[in-house]
Amino acid sequence: MRVNVHVNGEPMVADDVWEGESLLYVLRERLGLPGAKNACEQGECGSCTVYLDGITVCACLVAAGQAEGREVVTVEGLSEGRARRRGGAHDRNPRPDPDADGVAGPRLDRLDEVQRCFVEAGAVQCGFCTPGLVVQAHSLIASASRVPEDAEIREALAGNLCRCTGYEKILDAVRLAAARVHARAAAEDARTVPGGADD
Amino acid sequence: MTVWREAVGTPAARVEGPAKVTGRAGYTYDRPVTDPAYAFPVQATIARGRVASIDSAAAAGVEGVLAVVTHRDAARLADTGDAELAVLQSDEVGFRGQFVGVVVAETPQAARYAAGLVRVEYEQRPHDTELRADRPGLYAPEQVNGGFVSDTDEGDVDAAMEAAAVTVDRAYTTPMEFNSPMEPHVSVAVWDPGERAPGGGFAEGARLTLFDSTQGPHVVRSTLAQVFGLPPERVRVISPYVGGGFGSKGMPHAHNVLAALAAWAVPGRPVKLALTRQQMFALAGHRTPTIQRVRLGAGADGRLTAVAHEVVEHTSAIKEFAEQTAVGARMMYAAPNRRTSHRLAALDVPVPSWMRAPGEAPGFFALEVAMDELAQACGLDPIELRARNDPEVDPESGRPWSGRHLVRCLREGAARFGWAERTAPGTRLVGRELVGLGVAASTYPYYRLPGSRAVVEYEGGGRYTVRIGAADIGTGAWTALTQIAADALGCRLRAVRVEIGDSDLPAATVAGGSSGTTSWGSAVVAACRAFRHVYGEQPPAGAEAGADMPDDPDAERFAMHSFGAQFAEVRVDADTGEVRVPRMLGVFSVGRVVNPRTARSQFIGGMTMGLSMALHERGVLDHRTGHVINHDLAEYHIATHADVVDVDAVWLDEEDVHAGPLGARGIGEIGIVGAAAAIANAVHNATGVRVRDLPITPDVLLR
Amino acid sequence: MDFLRPATWEDALAMKAARPDATPIQGGTDVMVEINLDKGRPTALLDLNPVAELSRWSWTAGPAPMLRVGAGVTYTRLIAELGGWLPGLAQASRTVGSPQIRNRGTLVGNLGAASPAGDGHPPLLASGALVEAESVRGTRLIPIGEFYMGVKRNALEGDELIRAVHVPPAAGPQCFAKVGTRNAMVIAVCSFAVALDLRARRAGTGIGSAAPTPRRAHAAEEFLAGELDWDGAGPVDPALARRFGELVAEAAAPIDDVRGRADYRRHALAVMARRALGWAWAEREV
Repeated sequence: MRVNVHVNGEPMVADDVWEGESLLYVLRERLGLPGAKNACEQGECGSCTVYLDGITVCACLVAAGQAEGREVVTVEGLSEGRARRRGGAHDRNPRPDPDADGVAGPRLDRLDEVQRCFVEAGAVQCGFCTPGLVVQAHSLIASASRVPEDAEIREALAGNLCRCTGYEKILDAVRLAAARVHARAAAEDARTVPGGADD
Repeated sequence: MTVWREAVGTPAARVEGPAKVTGRAGYTYDRPVTDPAYAFPVQATIARGRVASIDSAAAAGVEGVLAVVTHRDAARLADTGDAELAVLQSDEVGFRGQFVGVVVAETPQAARYAAGLVRVEYEQRPHDTELRADRPGLYAPEQVNGGFVSDTDEGDVDAAMEAAAVTVDRAYTTPMEFNSPMEPHVSVAVWDPGERAPGGGFAEGARLTLFDSTQGPHVVRSTLAQVFGLPPERVRVISPYVGGGFGSKGMPHAHNVLAALAAWAVPGRPVKLALTRQQMFALAGHRTPTIQRVRLGAGADGRLTAVAHEVVEHTSAIKEFAEQTAVGARMMYAAPNRRTSHRLAALDVPVPSWMRAPGEAPGFFALEVAMDELAQACGLDPIELRARNDPEVDPESGRPWSGRHLVRCLREGAARFGWAERTAPGTRLVGRELVGLGVAASTYPYYRLPGSRAVVEYEGGGRYTVRIGAADIGTGAWTALTQIAADALGCRLRAVRVEIGDSDLPAATVAGGSSGTTSWGSAVVAACRAFRHVYGEQPPAGAEAGADMPDDPDAERFAMHSFGAQFAEVRVDADTGEVRVPRMLGVFSVGRVVNPRTARSQFIGGMTMGLSMALHERGVLDHRTGHVINHDLAEYHIATHADVVDVDAVWLDEEDVHAGPLGARGIGEIGIVGAAAAIANAVHNATGVRVRDLPITPDVLLR
Repeated sequence: MDFLRPATWEDALAMKAARPDATPIQGGTDVMVEINLDKGRPTALLDLNPVAELSRWSWTAGPAPMLRVGAGVTYTRLIAELGGWLPGLAQASRTVGSPQIRNRGTLVGNLGAASPAGDGHPPLLASGALVEAESVRGTRLIPIGEFYMGVKRNALEGDELIRAVHVPPAAGPQCFAKVGTRNAMVIAVCSFAVALDLRARRAGTGIGSAAPTPRRAHAAEEFLAGELDWDGAGPVDPALARRFGELVAEAAAPIDDVRGRADYRRHALAVMARRALGWAWAEREV
């Protein structure tokens, strides 16, 4: 069957989709977006977390047909306009970026805040769980009206298994990103709300 | 002597971090190949016997199926000496889940569906998968993993136990455990067939490229070259990003061979094979279950007179792997009478292999719980007991330590952790929770493996490329090597690019034994020095120099080990027995730390795996079928974010002047060693219940 | 495999009548696992996502209105939107899987799968919920206690779909408790729910993961109705709470399995029941 789905803001079409196929398979194998990972096939590890109509889901448990006409955002879609299509996803042998203090790949300032904080806090090791964690953390921060408590972060990320890090640095990254995002939002509110700066 | 000031020792951010957080890092299965076909294995459903007949007609008839390969028609391998890798070469079945066939199809769904339609009849023979200490047929292996002798015996342990004022004589067990890296094992095989040999063998001209998720591209290359009878230069293994391994990707496994056999069956097509999470439980290695008897004899003052550590564990009947579980007890504590032994049961089980800190991880659960029991029996603080038995030289070899700071780690940790607040067992009740503190010692040997080479090239414009066929499985080696090269060349971090993950790069040893940074790093230092020696500070563009890892004479003169102290606090629900671990602290002595940011993550990650080992992980073999029942992440539990509250690691600020040019001893595995014992000891302190069998489940605390 | 996409509830019923072999799929958190792991491929998937009305909840008419929770209401929404009326169910829903699973998974999907370990079952039993099953032949309301037929078997006919579940709003404090070996992402070793009805002076109970099907502890309910001092102030009499726990444990028929031993399950149930009663009763005081 054919599946039409908006991914990272672009309309995409997948043809010859098998009816039992998952959204994860469509993203990875048909739409050239291998960011979301397949690690358990049963929703236990969270490595395939993506946004579906603004809500985070395990893409391995969404039937491809159920994504028809809906909006998907993957980890590739979080950093501005990068790596959305085929060919962008295969960096090898990174060199420390001359503009980014020893950090390679896309420049840090082009990343989403959550992505940037994962690098800065040392929350990345093998990186296989990272895309799912980044999307889930992004959702937590975007939906919270304040910086979440540690217990809330642990609970929100409980479905994203990581075998390398022991989770502590992931927690640091999310705390850091949440603080920055909310500080920025507060600053913007202060600018736009009349009198807000005086409160 | 290089001055380590610019980069080494600084918390440089991971060089591949941005690629990983954006989803752009191409793992093995993510890499595009032209016109791929997909393989799905057929696995044995019996634990022992032979394949009597195979009916693959229904499978072959599925739309999109390109080939069904079984032992009847698989290409013949040149070397079948390693039974794990002698895939589809005979009708014999040695364990449940072993490959008996593979389906290759246009889509993974078609391959998987068709694999389910392959009808295999078996001639079943009686199997035995149950490890017991009293079973007949236990044998001593010629040596255990790491090249150590199986048994040691010094003095007279039995007499010393007789004479000792205080003794501990207990059995401890650990279950079958699974590495479970987040990225499943993946191999993508591409053949350039050359001239096909008559009879379907692998011709002299054939060339194999394998994209593989591995801890050692060169190891996979040399092994597969031998298996397929190809000169090594006709095999290339590419593996830049690896989603964790913890030992399970350290040696080639059967799926590597299966992928290549499947691709050979569909000429001109690359074949992608990804083990499913469930298949990994039979095919990607595991840690053997262990039954360990520990005997400690001591004077009333706690000074050890006897240490015996005798281990029974399993191996697969088709291939021996002997975990070195008792080896750590040979050097850990001073005692005039010491005995260690390993006995194996060759069972009809999947092939065990490396899992993070093979030997020390299960061995120190037993030894360090036994030490806690001895402390209790002597009425001594467990830290004081360990201090009293800290040997001045290695009791095994008599060599001086290159740096043994266990007692410093213990004392430093005690101060930081609030050890003085510890009360008598079972006496601290907060609400309905029993609270306890526990400690255990940790150690891991310094390994620097020979066989690595690095090459440095000046690209012009102030930029250098360093090449070495190493692997970063998430450890941070990529970043550490970049730092090491920058300092060794005397240039900025950003001027250096390190290329790894390809067997076309200079030889490198496996990412195992916590040896990567020390071994590869030494080669990189040597290559950088050679480069400067030849070209000086103003090299021409294109200048290139390389060097092999230099010898390590101090390794023969000193006993070289890292040490650590593990602390844990537990809270046990007094009514349900549920255990939570609100705090863990590790204090480590590992020589120089090349990158504090990546190092801290390694320690904490290891400790968390130890927590997981203590409370969650247990593979359950159904002895009627030989099947690991809980073969997925829903039932084989590893710690989640919600289980880990406050795990911290610190280290002594030091260098080990005997540990190569970096003064570093390796950090990848020590974090798991002793962690489970610290938790078990804390559980005892909380509840008064001594747990000697892992994992610690709520039911045993209510007995 | 066919992928059926009804736009309306009537279409869905017609398709299910024509294709009783079709597997309904809503959140996919159970169905897709079966497909991904290739445990038998359904001949057809009946995707209920497009039937918009299923994702709504409402109040039933009549003198004792109930919450009618549509088959497409996810756990996340149930917690956020219905937690005030259905505290026990919301508490149980919070322990289901991970946020990602709760974002897709539904209570009604839990009923469809009828796993003895499903977290939604005990509070539904404790509240006396009704399952609204419908086919082209008509609608029936199945009392929850009659819905579970065996391990992963329920009372639905081949042409029936669950449209909604009707749950009485709490008439007093409710509590759900679960024992697991991890802090999250854990299938219950066993679980228990209690719902106190302060007006009618009775208690409902539900036991999970301790018998082939979720079940009530009838004797324990009767005991509480008769023996609890419903007008009394202060905490529950400890002896009464202990007896209640024993009766709950006696109602279970647990087995030994990978997750836990039968005797531990019985013990833990007694503890959970005793505690849940205490917590619920304490909440009444507030």
